[in-house]
Amino acid sequence: MATSERRTEISTVQASSITALKGAWWKLGMGLLMCFVIYGAFFIAGGAVGFGQGGDKARIIFFHVPSAVLASVCYFVGVYFAAFYLFKKQSPKKAAETDAKSAIAMEQGFLFCTLATITGSIFAGVQWGSFWNWDPREISIVIMLLLYASYLVLRAALAGRPERRAKLAAVFALIALVPAQYLIWAVPRLVVYTAHPKDVLFEQEALTFNYKLVLYSAFLAFTLLYIWMSHLRFRAYKIRAGREGKRG
Amino acid sequence: MTSTGMEVLIERSKWRQEAVALLVKDLKAELRTKVAISAVGVFTFASLLLLGLATAVLKGVPTVTITRLPDVIGLQYLIEQLHPAWDSPSKMGLLWVLFCFAAFAGLAHSFVHEEETGTVTVLRLSMSAEAVYVGKLLFNLIVLLVVMATVTPVYMAMTGMSAGYAPAFLLVMLSGGIGLAATATVIGALAAKAQGTGALYGALGLPLLLVFLMLLLNAANTVYIVNAPMLRIVKDVGGLFSFGVLIITMSVMLFHFIWEE
Repeated sequence: MATSERRTEISTVQASSITALKGAWWKLGMGLLMCFVIYGAFFIAGGAVGFGQGGDKARIIFFHVPSAVLASVCYFVGVYFAAFYLFKKQSPKKAAETDAKSAIAMEQGFLFCTLATITGSIFAGVQWGSFWNWDPREISIVIMLLLYASYLVLRAALAGRPERRAKLAAVFALIALVPAQYLIWAVPRLVVYTAHPKDVLFEQEALTFNYKLVLYSAFLAFTLLYIWMSHLRFRAYKIRAGREGKRG
Repeated sequence: MTSTGMEVLIERSKWRQEAVALLVKDLKAELRTKVAISAVGVFTFASLLLLGLATAVLKGVPTVTITRLPDVIGLQYLIEQLHPAWDSPSKMGLLWVLFCFAAFAGLAHSFVHEEETGTVTVLRLSMSAEAVYVGKLLFNLIVLLVVMATVTPVYMAMTGMSAGYAPAFLLVMLSGGIGLAATATVIGALAAKAQGTGALYGALGLPLLLVFLMLLLNAANTVYIVNAPMLRIVKDVGGLFSFGVLIITMSVMLFHFIWEE
């Protein structure tokens, strides 16, 4: 009896690894794309005009801008699942999964926000001479980082009580939407002067073809990386939840 | 209309009385023990003295800001550009940093107290979540405004902060008080449910208040501009006020998720 159960378990594991391999083409593609971005950032795109000393400092755009965009996208994904958790009646299992999705998005957001802050600070250090200048963009991103951090602190404080944790974390995520939307609409208008390069993405003339090629690939690669990481985290969550369910 | 529908309607019309009842109960308890007022008040006064001592040397330090280079930089021009480094807007900023800390040191009490004494279940049974939120918010707002009204004049006397354009100044203080009390109340309820210590309360609340403090500093700058255009005052003070309004709206919508088990 036990051996046959074990056999079926092994066969499901094999089957899932086969399906995982079947779906792996886009992950391989993502790896190649990321290699292309790293290569392109140093060898395809040239130095940019207006950045001094051959314009090499501008190359950080390929890593900084996608992380910064993902940092804000993740927040909205997290808030979407938080609202879904609160306002939609679901079975307990589905609700726990929705909560896990929200938490995963917030974790990824924290990661990308940290990356954007660090790369931005490095750029500020070499370009403007100081690693921190209280530029509006710098203020916004560090506030965003703190909002993510306090969401994670709340979850950590409630580690032993998953249902209460899900509810309170979702409420906190929605309340933190108030300061977050001020970061989008109000803060850039409060401080008139910013040294941050403009949104070159939306200006047709600002980027050469090589820059566009690498930058858009970087966006695609980072987004795929984000999706892949979220999938992995969610699968890990499901395995953990399944094991706990069996034990209980 | 079904009977449950009627009940819901009656419930809805009752929440105002319930909120007032809760406020009166909290105020009575407060007048007996004076815990919240003394905690927030002593905290604020003590930090006020710390601040006063730390900034005493700044009083006479002038600074120059040159926004555009004149054709000839003369002594006369530099004297015109001289202004104190420790000016009224920065004093206002520090005063509000102090209020934020004081609120997050003292206002947690209102919910934690109910959890500790076990009265929270009675409260949950006897009134709706919205009524509890509004009652607690009003109580916290009153405590905060009383402390602000006593501390601000002392602070002004000590550091020489001027009131600027008085109506705008009062509006900034009032909208600031509303925003701070609203944030402290809802986060207080969250932290009490998480059975968090004071550290958790601050860690959840202060990141939310960063944007609030930026809006407040912006409004404070406007207050001290001589003959500022009315449009700018309305815009900046309104921006500050909107923060409190949005937090209250979100809190009323979401409070029953925190409150109900």
